[in-house]
Amino acid sequence: MKHKYGFVTLLLIAVAFAGYCFTALYVGSREKGEERFFVVTSFYPMYIAAENIVGDAEGVTLTNLSEPQTGCMHDYQLTPEDMKLLSRADVFIVNGGGIENFLSKVAKSYPDLKILDASQDAGLLEDNSHVWMSVEKHKKQVENIARGLCKMDEGNREYYEGQEEAYLLKLSKLEEEQKEIRSKIQGKSMISFHEAYAYLAEDYGLHVAFTLDLDEERQVSAGEVSDVISALKENDSAVIFAEELYGSEMAETVKKETDAKVCFLDTLVRGDYSSDSYLSGMEENIRLIKEAYGVE
Amino acid sequence: MGLESLTAFFQYGFMRNAFLAVLIITPLFGLLGTMIVQKKMAFFSDALGHSALTGIALGVVFGIGDTSLSMIVFAVAFALLLNFIGERVAAFDTVISVFSSCSVALGLAILSAGGNFSKYSSLLVGDILSITRGEILYLLGIFAFTLVFWCFCFNYLNAASIHRTLAKGRHIPVKLMENLFAVVMALIVMLSIKWVGILIINALLILPAAASRNISENMREYHFFSLVFSLFSGILGLFISYYTNVATGPMIVIIASVLYFSTYVYAGKRNV
Repeated sequence: MKHKYGFVTLLLIAVAFAGYCFTALYVGSREKGEERFFVVTSFYPMYIAAENIVGDAEGVTLTNLSEPQTGCMHDYQLTPEDMKLLSRADVFIVNGGGIENFLSKVAKSYPDLKILDASQDAGLLEDNSHVWMSVEKHKKQVENIARGLCKMDEGNREYYEGQEEAYLLKLSKLEEEQKEIRSKIQGKSMISFHEAYAYLAEDYGLHVAFTLDLDEERQVSAGEVSDVISALKENDSAVIFAEELYGSEMAETVKKETDAKVCFLDTLVRGDYSSDSYLSGMEENIRLIKEAYGVE
Repeated sequence: MGLESLTAFFQYGFMRNAFLAVLIITPLFGLLGTMIVQKKMAFFSDALGHSALTGIALGVVFGIGDTSLSMIVFAVAFALLLNFIGERVAAFDTVISVFSSCSVALGLAILSAGGNFSKYSSLLVGDILSITRGEILYLLGIFAFTLVFWCFCFNYLNAASIHRTLAKGRHIPVKLMENLFAVVMALIVMLSIKWVGILIINALLILPAAASRNISENMREYHFFSLVFSLFSGILGLFISYYTNVATGPMIVIIASVLYFSTYVYAGKRNV
């Protein structure tokens, strides 16, 4: 049975070759050119904010670490590809507040990488880093990002400042709209199915009657369902703020038990990479909230 | 993709660590796998892998900083207990299943308290970035230990696996051998589970040996091919996973599976 060794050798060579071809094909399709200033953002809302600042600035490449559908960064696991990406980065823009829990790992591996914490002085709520949900605070984030980029890429300073001004103007418009609604619904109650809505409640001056954090892969116990229902009974005019993806089942259940209004709001962590997606997502949220509270 | 991208691989500390770990651990998988396959212990090692969940959970409950430690202690105890009970019952596979599901349930219950299991989900598919310098030292230690164990005890183990009673009659310490083997298995599985992942660690133990068994005629060939297959799938899997951005453990297992099926078809044609 001397053919055996020949067979095994051939087999190993064939498999290795197939693996090589497959890999080369894959890598070849992703090869990119050189960049002068390389900006990496951690996840979707940061990418959109940075995209609005960076625009078409010369020689600047902007890449997002996670996929646009990754959602929140809780429990995100870095892949070797991510580590490679970060090793090339000039600056890494993060939301901060602990949402990127892999940050210490990154900082340890790449002590020279500049990490730009967007929510510095943005007024984080305790144990809740979904700051971008508040338009007012998101403006601060945008300012932080713009200031950081200006400092690190002096050549494009003027361009960045112009971009920042234009984007802040658009955000201010949203803020105005919110303030108008706020004057009408202030003090009313809401029940939140996602931590992120605490920032909305703050923006609109709403009273948070109950919070049930339905996040990725979260299992709800029966006791929590009854807690929600009793909270609804106490505040019978409360509106439920829920996320479509993780909260809809729960919302349907509660809807069956009570006649509460449910408002499916976007947490703005998923979508396509168009630069207006934060604006349009927030606009839609404003419309839904208006509708839910019956504001004309 | 040229030579420079092959060397780019070694620029990163974590890839160097991973490569070293693969070089050390896959031969051990190949070695132990031969005996696991021969003794029909595939299910046993599977259960052992699952016990990692409980080990970590216990570490979390008792507030042990390094959960590797609690994992190893628990797995060793688990393996010895399984051996102990297995001797006293006829339906060993049922006992294994009971143990395995119990420990998985316990682990899941503790780790999912507060709805936070996703924090540990990397354990299921493995995370290559979790390999640290210190862990490689552990691996080297276990590597040396296993080699010594294998050199001195393989014949006894082999005898016991062929005919237990006969081996006992020849004054071979069968029980001690089996327990030692279980302990070594527990150590190796626990030290590599964080980067291989609970779901597939067993495949890494079984597949190279099973592929080798398809085509070998004696113990020497059996060991040789098992080692070659294991090392080969480990290194190739690591390379491919690095360039294509998929988890490393699954990639290694896919390659090992290809080897298994190829040898199976080859052996079927040739009637080895």
